[in-house]
Amino acid sequence: MKFDDKVPIYYQIKNYLYHEMLTGTLNPGDKLPAVRQLAVDLTVNVNTVQRALSEMITEGTIESQRGKGNFVTADTTRLAQLKEQLVMTQLAQVYEQLHALNLTDEEIIASLKRYIEQKGAGQNA
Amino acid sequence: MPNVLAIQGLTYKRNQKLILKNIDLTLETGKIVGLLGENGAGKTTLMRLITGSAQGSGDIMVSDATTATARKAHVSFSEQLHGFNKNVKISRVVDFYQTVYSDFDLNRYHELADFLQLNGELKLLALSKGMREKLIIALTLARQTDLYLLDEPFGGIDSMSRKKIISSIIQWKPDNATMLISDHYVTEIAPILDEIVVVKDQTIAVHQKTDTIRSESGMDIEDYYESLYAGGVDHD
Repeated sequence: MKFDDKVPIYYQIKNYLYHEMLTGTLNPGDKLPAVRQLAVDLTVNVNTVQRALSEMITEGTIESQRGKGNFVTADTTRLAQLKEQLVMTQLAQVYEQLHALNLTDEEIIASLKRYIEQKGAGQNA
Repeated sequence: MPNVLAIQGLTYKRNQKLILKNIDLTLETGKIVGLLGENGAGKTTLMRLITGSAQGSGDIMVSDATTATARKAHVSFSEQLHGFNKNVKISRVVDFYQTVYSDFDLNRYHELADFLQLNGELKLLALSKGMREKLIIALTLARQTDLYLLDEPFGGIDSMSRKKIISSIIQWKPDNATMLISDHYVTEIAPILDEIVVVKDQTIAVHQKTDTIRSESGMDIEDYYESLYAGGVDHD
């Protein structure tokens, strides 16, 4: 995997794992690869993987079981929260940028609708 | 966290010329650290001072060893194989390492050699630049020790060899060992570095965590490193 070297790597590892968890590559309760294996797969440092996992354990998105490894939480409510949080983060960026172009909230909603309709039309064509 | 390397007030002169002055540097256990600096900045010299093959003034402690002789047992340095006859087979070099270093683990060597696709029957003169670097890495990492010093392991080799070497570093660095890797081009190894140390103007100009640099400066590691030579980091 290619990382953006301007952004802390541990943060990008977390986002990578969130993505795996929310798109179903890793399901609730699934075991994560071993720390060193993740480091090799992503070509990053073991310590950086460890930092990303520690933060995710604290957040409750993954759970550590002594001697067994790390598992995606089986708490689907927590995963739904995570998804909501990621969606809001993405929207916040779009919202900020459109606001910077002096669009009102109504105009933002209208443009978003227009965008989705046009995109849908393009895909059906 | 305990330190694997502690250097205090290290100064080194060669032929009356000051090469390194007032170096203070401590490295924690378990880290991968990039040693950066221009050609001739003194990176190799610093490594040779750590191993004890060069003598300066000041204190150098590796694990609990302070004398040059005692330090050698705790440091695995990527020797450039210059002492070997070019007609010697890889397997003979491996025998030599096994005899000289009591911490040389033959099983580890074979795992590394398999991974890096090194054929023990080849003679040194038959090795490409990439193969030669792979052999040096396998020999260096096959020792089980506290501190690994890799001196420009990526110089002039193709990208596939480079990727293999990076991968072998991630897989075979013992958890409790620290690794110092020198390079003058940081981009390719930046994702595997915990910290960088920059040698500039005969001393340590910067010692910083890579993720701290990324989050505080918003720059990638290469740009940050280059900014040190452009008259300081731009904070605008």
